[in-house]
Amino acid sequence: MQELLNAVTLGSVYLLFALGMSLTWGTIDILNFSHGAIFMFASFSAYLMLEHSALSLGLLILLGMIAGAALSFLVQFVVFEPILRRSKDKGSAEIQVLIGGIGTGMILLAIAQHKTRSNPFGLNGSSTESTTWHWGGAHITDVAVLTTVVAISLWLVVGWWLRRSRQGLALRAIGVDADVAALMGIDRRGLAMVTMAISGALAGLAGILFTFLQVAITPESGDTLLLKAFACIVLGGVGSMAGVAFGAFLLAGAETVLLTRTDGSWVDAISFGLIVLVLLIRPSGMFGRAEVRRT
Amino acid sequence: MIVYFQTHEVLVQGTCIALVLALSIQVPMRMGVFSFAGAGCYGISAYLSAILVLERGFSPFAAIATSVVTTAAVGLVLGVIIQRLTGLYLAMVTFAFDLIIGVLVINGGNRTGGSTGLFGVITNFTTWHMLVLAAAAVTCAAVSELGRAGRRVEAVREDPELASSMGINVSRYRLVAFTASGALGGLAGAMTVMIRTTIAPRDIGFNLIVLGLTIIVVGGTRSWKGAVLGAVIITWLPSALTSIGEWNTLVYGVMTVIASIFLPRGLYGLWLSGVRWWQRHRRAPAPAPALPDDAPDATSRLALASPGSPGAAAIELGEGVK
Amino acid sequence: MAGTRLRTMRRTLITTAALLAGLTALTACGSSSNSSASAKGLPDQIKLVAINPMTGPAAFAGLAANKGYELAIKEINDSDLLGGSKLKLEEVDTKGEAQEAASKLTTAISDKSIPAVFGSVLSQDALAMSPIAQKSQMPIMYTQAGSDGVVIGDYTWRATPLMGTYYSVIKKFIADNGYKSTGIIYTSVSPTLTDVATKTIPELGMKITKTIATSATTQDFAAPVQQILATKPDVVTVLLQGAANPSTMTALRQAGYTGKVLGNSAASAGNLDPAGAAGVGMVWPVDFNYEQKAASSQKFVAAYKAAYGEDPLNYAAEAYDAAYFVARAIAAADSTDRAAVKDAMVAESKKSFDGALGEGLTWKDGTIVLDGVVVEHTADGEKLLYEGSGQ
Repeated sequence: MQELLNAVTLGSVYLLFALGMSLTWGTIDILNFSHGAIFMFASFSAYLMLEHSALSLGLLILLGMIAGAALSFLVQFVVFEPILRRSKDKGSAEIQVLIGGIGTGMILLAIAQHKTRSNPFGLNGSSTESTTWHWGGAHITDVAVLTTVVAISLWLVVGWWLRRSRQGLALRAIGVDADVAALMGIDRRGLAMVTMAISGALAGLAGILFTFLQVAITPESGDTLLLKAFACIVLGGVGSMAGVAFGAFLLAGAETVLLTRTDGSWVDAISFGLIVLVLLIRPSGMFGRAEVRRT
Repeated sequence: MIVYFQTHEVLVQGTCIALVLALSIQVPMRMGVFSFAGAGCYGISAYLSAILVLERGFSPFAAIATSVVTTAAVGLVLGVIIQRLTGLYLAMVTFAFDLIIGVLVINGGNRTGGSTGLFGVITNFTTWHMLVLAAAAVTCAAVSELGRAGRRVEAVREDPELASSMGINVSRYRLVAFTASGALGGLAGAMTVMIRTTIAPRDIGFNLIVLGLTIIVVGGTRSWKGAVLGAVIITWLPSALTSIGEWNTLVYGVMTVIASIFLPRGLYGLWLSGVRWWQRHRRAPAPAPALPDDAPDATSRLALASPGSPGAAAIELGEGVK
Repeated sequence: MAGTRLRTMRRTLITTAALLAGLTALTACGSSSNSSASAKGLPDQIKLVAINPMTGPAAFAGLAANKGYELAIKEINDSDLLGGSKLKLEEVDTKGEAQEAASKLTTAISDKSIPAVFGSVLSQDALAMSPIAQKSQMPIMYTQAGSDGVVIGDYTWRATPLMGTYYSVIKKFIADNGYKSTGIIYTSVSPTLTDVATKTIPELGMKITKTIATSATTQDFAAPVQQILATKPDVVTVLLQGAANPSTMTALRQAGYTGKVLGNSAASAGNLDPAGAAGVGMVWPVDFNYEQKAASSQKFVAAYKAAYGEDPLNYAAEAYDAAYFVARAIAAADSTDRAAVKDAMVAESKKSFDGALGEGLTWKDGTIVLDGVVVEHTADGEKLLYEGSGQ
């Protein structure tokens, strides 16, 4: 039972984090490598605020989301848009966006490292205390429950928004064929900014909740989650909302089970192995769009 | 000068390794294959050559040669398995491959030294040997950019369907790309362990990929000259910036971001654009078509009537295929 | 078109050949001569270099070590140990990168007036530096850097005992509390902690109920905690680094474990603070604590407090003793010739000495050996529980 609770909580964390990445990767084709750094920096900003006054969890979450949205918006505006404007073809744009994201991540990392001296930092200055509930032989904290509820609700909301709203439709159109979408009068640039901001807000939210769950993170924590997010998105299929949830919980489940049955040193190999396996057998992931190549 | 070289010998070594590593990503990229397998082969080869020297008493060159051949084979096999994938998916698989190597190496028990890694790989391998090997690798890469082979590589990257319809065996070029990335990555890894005498799990992994990519983006994605330029800058700049001290990472990040936005072809591409601009500028005022020194052949002479004519554009294209 | 191709190929080959020839000339000309015989007797000023991470994740250890070096050198200069010659310390930053550390070492080696250097606290830097130091015959004294392959010959020394050699001082704590079994969570990223988890702890006499290895990418500590607690050990052992320590302590408390936790010194220096009350009760052995009673230690603590206004960390104590050892060797050699200093260090290491780290310190295979002390993380910070195997 405890195993299950752990796996669900872990999966929710992965889901929250990967949701933002999947949103931008699947629609406007931006693989944002600074997503991890933004996640961390939102939490870091909250930590800085806490040095002045003890804020509640709710306020911290709001703060984190604003910080995340602002940062992502900035990255899109300052880095990614210029790259896309100047690039001649999709292939080279992809690489440059990748590098641009890595570079931005490094900048945020450097700032956080400077202030914290790479020591772990947490949000324990907050006025909200976490309580633990026990029943049977199992236990779970209220923050963990909150994380799970938030993750699943947001996943549902974003999924609904993509499917039913006009903007969601426009975004999906861009994801299928950006040129035709532009011909249809869709403002790619504006929508891209909005999407990145939403993705950033999700990252910020994930950051605050994650830090509360883990009690402490370091400036380097964001990059570790980046790899896990890849695994989730790849497993589920790029561009699929159902996919990213599937990937997140599958990965969390596999890792938890492995940790239970073995001594833990092969857990990473399994995650990476899963990626390789899925990409070989079913490159589009479980729920993704199939890509056709003739050569 | 010699003293300078001596005190900076470590930087020279670092440049050679970074250069060959960058080539292991750039050479396949020029064929349209977005593969990071070179970083994984770096790890395989570093550990393999260390084990060969420690357990079997191989000479450094025998160890390097064996490792490079092994990783070339690994690259080839990998290529055969995953050649159907393209773009980011290909990158992801090779990335995962690299990380798996990292895990295998930690769990390899006494053979691979676990989390400590291997050390004490003392040989008579010198920086001079490293320079020769690096130069050899660069020469091979350079040769693949010249003449007919070079143009075919271009074709396979730019338009595989067209290339295929013209009789170029695209699949074979792709497999060559994978093999080359394995061999080059293996060379970089083997050289590293020979000169540093140690190898540990933390030396291989994500940072290798970031290093290689950054070099190519800053220096130039299309040519070995870009790789050399990028390797020199990325290796030497942090030392030159000692006054920046701890903001090292920040400067590195800013540099990378600027390069990714404003230098799509890297610094070498910028250089080429500059050369072209200067040549055009030089040509513009001449009413009577005086022959520029580098006109490739007779047909272009007719097009020199005015700078904006299609002929001038043709010359642009002719020079631009680099 | 054939003409262009030949021309370009020829150009490339010529450039490459020219480059090669040039570089060959450079390397051939440059032969490092180590036989720089300095005149007998010490020069007025002796330059030493400390190569440590002053920025980046390990900066807190590197900077503390530098403070220890500075204090010792100031005292030595005020004393008569070197007969009027003064030591001058240059501190350079490795920025946490092994290549940078190796590079800084090579720079120091090419300065013939430098008789010895102080090496980095990080094992990864040390592994890159030691082969160079040994080959170029430059005496190098490390603090921390507890990996295999750091002390590889007469020229490499380490003024910090290996955690595996003093960890057993915790036996008294185990005996006093009657712990008969333990479950271990450790990180496979650290060779030192892997060593302690797999070799040292099993020899302490407790039954090992379960051992779990985490990696650099582990996010979830609730699962390993649950695994360990399910086997009902008397005490839990947590050998982790960085943020994993507060995360795991909190997870343990949330799972209902209220007992003490055996840890390691990576949990010190404020790393447990984010855990708040959950971090209380972690106990670990360390080579030095500012409350330890040895006279020479207290003398050091007083001097440090007077100079810096705070209590010293073990990194500073190790560096202090390291500096004194090197200075004594230079004084005994009465020369800044590196080979002579090396010989003097070998001779000096055969004697036991009193220093910041304690009394009766000895060397074994180039590394300091001592009993160690046990500290506990309480609500008011770290408290010394006991010293050595006796008290």
